[in-house]
Amino acid sequence: MKFAVIALRNLARNRRRTLLSLLIIAAGTIVALLTSGFIRFSFFGLREAIIHGGLGHLEVAPAKDVEAGGASPERSGIPGLEGWGDLRGRIEAAPHVLGAGAVVQFTGMISKGDRSAAVLAVGVEPDRERLMRFELRLRGGSNLPDAPPDEGDDAVLLGATLARQLGAEPGDLLTLLGLTADGALNALDLRVAGLFTTGLQDVDSRIIKVHLASAQRLLGTQNATSLIVGLDDTARTDESRAAIEGLLAGREPSLAVVDWRTRAPFYGQVVSLYLGIFWFLGSVIFVLVCLSTSNTLMMSVMERIREIGTLLSIGTSRAQVAAIILLEALWLGLLGALSGDLLGIVLVSVINALGIQMPPPPGATSGIELHLAAAPVDFAAAVGMMLVILGLAAAVPVGISMRLRIADALRHV
Amino acid sequence: MAPGRPLFEAAGLRKSYRLGAVTIDALRGVDLTVDSGEFVVVAGPSGCGKTTLFNLLGALDAPDSGSLLFEGDDLGRLSSSERTLFLRRKVGFVFQSFNLIPVLTAYENVEYPLWIDGLGAPERQRRTKDALASVGLAGRMHQRPDQLSGGERQRVALARGLVHDPRVILADEPTANLDSGTGAEIVELLARTNRERGTTFLIATHDAAIIEKSPRRVRLLDGRVVEDGGGR
Repeated sequence: MKFAVIALRNLARNRRRTLLSLLIIAAGTIVALLTSGFIRFSFFGLREAIIHGGLGHLEVAPAKDVEAGGASPERSGIPGLEGWGDLRGRIEAAPHVLGAGAVVQFTGMISKGDRSAAVLAVGVEPDRERLMRFELRLRGGSNLPDAPPDEGDDAVLLGATLARQLGAEPGDLLTLLGLTADGALNALDLRVAGLFTTGLQDVDSRIIKVHLASAQRLLGTQNATSLIVGLDDTARTDESRAAIEGLLAGREPSLAVVDWRTRAPFYGQVVSLYLGIFWFLGSVIFVLVCLSTSNTLMMSVMERIREIGTLLSIGTSRAQVAAIILLEALWLGLLGALSGDLLGIVLVSVINALGIQMPPPPGATSGIELHLAAAPVDFAAAVGMMLVILGLAAAVPVGISMRLRIADALRHV
Repeated sequence: MAPGRPLFEAAGLRKSYRLGAVTIDALRGVDLTVDSGEFVVVAGPSGCGKTTLFNLLGALDAPDSGSLLFEGDDLGRLSSSERTLFLRRKVGFVFQSFNLIPVLTAYENVEYPLWIDGLGAPERQRRTKDALASVGLAGRMHQRPDQLSGGERQRVALARGLVHDPRVILADEPTANLDSGTGAEIVELLARTNRERGTTFLIATHDAAIIEKSPRRVRLLDGRVVEDGGGR
């Protein structure tokens, strides 16, 4: 304890130099906090946008379809999930499950007058989507009706870019062509209920949504492609997956449960990219803070060579002298990082309150509001990181003190 | 210590330094024996090797050749941890420039050697207060060195040197930075401590007043003992 007090008092000897070091450490801490706050919010926002944009937390599908089509959300073979009504009931009774909606996915051709486009069509249950807290970002018109439409009353939601390409607006009549389960070509007239966006321009140019009943009518089947499961908390994904796999054990034909991470490889790529940027930036901060504080500590030690000689001459071991210098560094790291944490909280609050609008990311259709997450673990990690940096910064000054000859140190002017 | 064995036995001590391209022979074969309880003054002009000799006697440095025994143990063969324990328990230093730790109060400076040696708080407190009282600083113990006069600082340094009850005090020019009156007080304090506690004192000095009062005077010149009078 006494060495810690001596170390702290040593820092107070040259207040201006100590204050400068604290500012450098605090600035490094703030940059790390703002970056991690932005990245954490981006990860959270992207994850929840993907899940609640229609992907869901889990998908239950015939194992053979998953093996053949991979985990892609754009799987579009013949719907192979039979008896899904009973299965849905069992899944929805499981803990943390908000709902399970049947979907039918298929590719087709949609036309308005002389304009046609290849589309990826998804048949959904709007009431179940609402239960699973899915968000539909409408850009005009209204959502599909909850009730299965009667024949001739079928409706469609168009991706916003696709609607522009077709020149279609809510209320327009379109024709959708698709292949039935028997391989025959079938057509369905659809009235445009609304326009929507997924947030991704590429997807918006080829996606349509219809009611599950309309999709099944077009394809001539009662089957579904899969059941999409929505949970009350994304953190429960693995636990719920295991529970649902337990429910499905022994069922023939076998079913596979695929989680959102597997179905959205794009998310993993974004995480890798952002983490790469974060580590690069972190390394720059690491080096800058380490070099500047090492210089400060070195000056502080060089000014006290004779004092260190005195400490050694009255029986202080070299390890104890090293401990005093290391403790000075750790005090600097702790006080600087805590100051940085404090200022960081203020800055995060101010930035979040300002509601700064960011331009759309590449491939996205709309900008986002700059928001920074303030995770307690980040604030603790910033303190830990600064302690490690200052510990390393102390290595050279400690090395000098360990090599000092006492007689030379006492002669030092 | 074997009964009747001298405190220090130095024979043929040699020590040289390199100063740039020049080699300086600071000690050129010093023979010296000091008994426990002696009060010895080592005198000589600047550069005669007094400080080098004290560094060797205090195990702060090792001789190039020759032997140096402390109570029969070879100081030149101490390991690093043995040297630290020797410095902690057997020897106390008083330096010309006081060499107090500026961030510690007078009390903390004196307490420090006891603390690093692991003494319990009550024993530390008792001995620290006794040591400060013995040098007349009981009322100034909570001042930092920069709040004390030169004489007071040297008294604190002496209390720090004595507090762990060492076998010997090595005082290198203890009055050089003091006015004559304060210097005389310090010399009297050293002599009284020697008489009352039986602590061995070796004092390197130019100060004629100290040299005259000393029962034993060792004179160094060009790294050799040229006179060893009185005492023994």
